[in-house]
Amino acid sequence: MESFTIELTVSNSCGVLNRITGIYAKGKHNIDALTVRPCSDPALSVMQIVSRGDETVQRMMVRQLRKLFDVKTAVLANDTTL
Amino acid sequence: MKRSGASIVIEALCRNGVDTVFGYPGGAVLPIYDELYKNAHRIHHVLCAHEQNAAHAADGYARVTGRPGTVIATSGPGATNLVTGIANAYLDSVPLVAITGNVAVPLLGRDSFQEVDITSITRGIVKHNFSVGDVRELSGILDAAFRIALSGRPGPVLVDIPKSVQNDLCSEDEYTEQRLFSAPLPEPDLEEACRLIADSKRPLIYSGGGVVAAGASAELRALAKQIGAPVMFSMMGLTALPADEPLNLGMCGMHGTRSSAELFSECDLLIALGVRFSDRAAGNTVQYKEGKKIIHVDIDHAEINKNVTADVEVQGDVRKVLELLLQKLPRITRPEWEQRCAEAKKLDIHPREERLTPFSLLKTVAGYCTPDTVIATDVGQHQMWTMQYFPFQKNRTLLTSGGLGTMGFGMGAAIGGCIASGRKRTVLFTGDGSFGMSLQELATAVSQNLPLLIVIFNNGVLGMVRQWQTMFYEKHFSHTTLNRKTDFAALAKAFGAQGKKITSLAQLERALYAPAPDVPTVLDCQLDMDEFVLPMIPPGGSVKDLITRKG
Repeated sequence: MESFTIELTVSNSCGVLNRITGIYAKGKHNIDALTVRPCSDPALSVMQIVSRGDETVQRMMVRQLRKLFDVKTAVLANDTTL
Repeated sequence: MKRSGASIVIEALCRNGVDTVFGYPGGAVLPIYDELYKNAHRIHHVLCAHEQNAAHAADGYARVTGRPGTVIATSGPGATNLVTGIANAYLDSVPLVAITGNVAVPLLGRDSFQEVDITSITRGIVKHNFSVGDVRELSGILDAAFRIALSGRPGPVLVDIPKSVQNDLCSEDEYTEQRLFSAPLPEPDLEEACRLIADSKRPLIYSGGGVVAAGASAELRALAKQIGAPVMFSMMGLTALPADEPLNLGMCGMHGTRSSAELFSECDLLIALGVRFSDRAAGNTVQYKEGKKIIHVDIDHAEINKNVTADVEVQGDVRKVLELLLQKLPRITRPEWEQRCAEAKKLDIHPREERLTPFSLLKTVAGYCTPDTVIATDVGQHQMWTMQYFPFQKNRTLLTSGGLGTMGFGMGAAIGGCIASGRKRTVLFTGDGSFGMSLQELATAVSQNLPLLIVIFNNGVLGMVRQWQTMFYEKHFSHTTLNRKTDFAALAKAFGAQGKKITSLAQLERALYAPAPDVPTVLDCQLDMDEFVLPMIPPGGSVKDLITRKG
């Protein structure tokens, strides 16, 4: 299955990672790699999440992540390696 | 002036238009309940018998009013008891604000008495939730909770407030704003949708809960007429057109009408409005698209292309999209297709029944209702029969658990719905199984003097599961024969309500038209245990697999 990376800018607060991984877990999508780092704005963090799935899954994940009120942006990265 | 967190809660509720809350007190919400005591003239608190039903009551209240329902529960078991109610609201996109108390901030994370991490527990079943760590955040969080519950696609929001935050003092100039992200809706591009509609020979509208939530019945009817398209409904959308409209095909899906199944298989364009192609409504989603194109309109971008791939996707408020379509499209007549619709609708005509049957029962009770009567249901066969036979006339008169299918939803929903309707006569259709899950709320209905009419479809079995066991499990009636000796009429009286056992249609008529007492009335209607809900498309099937007769 195709590996894909989603890059997110999210609120830097407790429970946010749980909310995001919940979206993956709900559809039984394993997270193969995950990074979280601070951002120039201390209220935000930047995340990269690597998972596997076809185009339908990729699109669905991005759209579901964008619905979260802690997620400022969520985009599919072309580069599938971290 | 400094206010306590508990006082901030009351101010936020009033500011957000809340005049009724449902709930149950406990240790971790004592400060909030003290403020409710002092503010009884501003907020009516309805004490339920169980938090789950309080959540269903807030849900029913929201479905009738279109405004967020509010429920309050204490920490620990109070909070976990809300979970089913919150999930129910989530699956049906009902605006709900649930407020829970929690242990004081220094005690959090230490497995203190009645402590659970309710924000983690509910994360998968809320639109958003908040754990308030500082009293300065509280006001902004509550405003955000009401805004989120109602905006876009509605849904439940939980706010967990530790007891110490309820007691902490804070002045208005210290309040902080919540920083939340949500993308604005794009301007809908309808060029392609208009082209498909104009090119179609046999368009069919599939309308759902989104149309009800948007209050877009008039626009839906106008579009159906303008383009000569019949309309079939998901269960959540059923009330958007009066049952007797010529273009109304009724409910589609597993227990939908024959006309909807047949016209669905014949249409060349499906215009899906505020629906999510749930498996119960759509059946086999692989064969679903055969021979047709699909336009999918939804306010929630994540619903489009989730279960069924659309040819044209339109993200937007369905009412606005319908208004634009009405402007852009010419009047299109399709006499042959409309003729076919009228012909197919004849398949749905049900013969009169003189005995007490699900059909005759529903028709008789319907005769006693007005177009505004709020109808609640529980879950199971009686629910499907209500969808099939009850002639709904208006939006916001049907309270039923669609997505979650929660047995026990009905009592709470009927209580909330009745209060929301201005305490008018409200009907609950329930089964002996479902009613058994929440009948303690008779106590609430009695203490609130609510004129509920509770109609029990009593067949002594868990009928829907029995039907599946009959059809798919060689009549192995595993644990679906209740073998209970409950006397529901006597039980009703024990709670201070009225009750009557009904064995014939004549008895039912007499009971319905007897002067209505100002107390809840339970009608325990005796029905055959082997009545089936038909027609039925078996799970994963399509119109070719439609079962119309027993055996």
